[in-house]
Amino acid sequence: MSEQLYIIPIVLLLPLTGCMLVLQVNPYHALVIRGIFGAIAALVYVLFGAADVALTEALVGTMLSITLYAVAVRSSLSLRVGAIEDQLKAHTARELLSVLRATFSKHHLRLEIVPYTNLLAMQAALRAKEIHCSYVLSEPGGSPSPPGGGSRYDIQTRVSRLYEIMQAEVPPTKAYLRYIDLANPDKSTEVPIPEAMEGKS
Amino acid sequence: MIDTLSYLCIGVGIFFWFWGTLPLVGDRSVLFKLHSLSVADTLGSMSIVVGLLLKIPREWPLLVLALISLAIWNTVLGYVLAYCSSGGGD
Amino acid sequence: MNWILLATIAALLIPIYEAWQDENIWQTMLAFSSIASKTSIMILIVSVLRDDWTLGVVGVIILSVGNAALMLLAHIIRRTNEL
Repeated sequence: MSEQLYIIPIVLLLPLTGCMLVLQVNPYHALVIRGIFGAIAALVYVLFGAADVALTEALVGTMLSITLYAVAVRSSLSLRVGAIEDQLKAHTARELLSVLRATFSKHHLRLEIVPYTNLLAMQAALRAKEIHCSYVLSEPGGSPSPPGGGSRYDIQTRVSRLYEIMQAEVPPTKAYLRYIDLANPDKSTEVPIPEAMEGKS
Repeated sequence: MIDTLSYLCIGVGIFFWFWGTLPLVGDRSVLFKLHSLSVADTLGSMSIVVGLLLKIPREWPLLVLALISLAIWNTVLGYVLAYCSSGGGD
Repeated sequence: MNWILLATIAALLIPIYEAWQDENIWQTMLAFSSIASKTSIMILIVSVLRDDWTLGVVGVIILSVGNAALMLLAHIIRRTNEL
């Protein structure tokens, strides 16, 4: 009976950290909490005399699986953005990228810039599904320029969910969004141009 | 006599644990917390292990190994965490 | 010896609380490192309490390997923050 005095609170720590792990939304925080859970699980196994299980939990469950999952999460939660090499250094491009970064960090996505030498190569890469979206400086004659006279960007994406997220968050004065449906090109949508701007162009 | 000494060591170690861990809750910077954690926590853990060593001297190879790995690994880990959290010196 | 383990459980609850209220990934990592060393010391205490040699060996291995895993994880998280 006197042994149970310390066994019960230690065992209660296991469901507590389990709930913390399940309720966590950020994948990286969840990984670290999985490590905490593994450490406490090893302690509980030792309390019940299962030394081999505790050792396996610490070596495989905590060390190996967390490292593998960290690599997997890092490489899968990334958004590949194509850009023209010459336009990377511009001030407005950096502004646009910081807006995009702030938008997608809410969804725990990481931006990865893929530079291309010309527009044709980038379009081909978008169609070959090498990148998720691309941005180029708007042509003077193409889409309407914003009222302030600053430069605007054309953003093309092939993922409809990305289009929805960007439509809600990226201000239309900075970029002109376009969704390209690769499966059936007829359904590709464009943002309705605000009327005030349409009059100017 | 030895028994009292070992309990004293373990008590001091647990006091150090609380001392090192309580700053973790506040709103201080990562490096401040890392400092208190690596100094007080490691000293507390080592004092607890010394207390256990006095209690059962028969298991000395194990406990001495624990002491050495605590001293070395926790120091290295403190440096690695500080290096990684401050952006990696670029 | 019971009071020792109860006191260590109380000390273990502080970093768990810290990991629960997430602000910065590095604060969570600090809590993880604290918990990892605390649990392995608790395993050592239990092994001395029960006079069991095997449990002690497991505690020492977890103590040294858990720290190595932490360093690996710290480097991977630093790489993700870089880009």
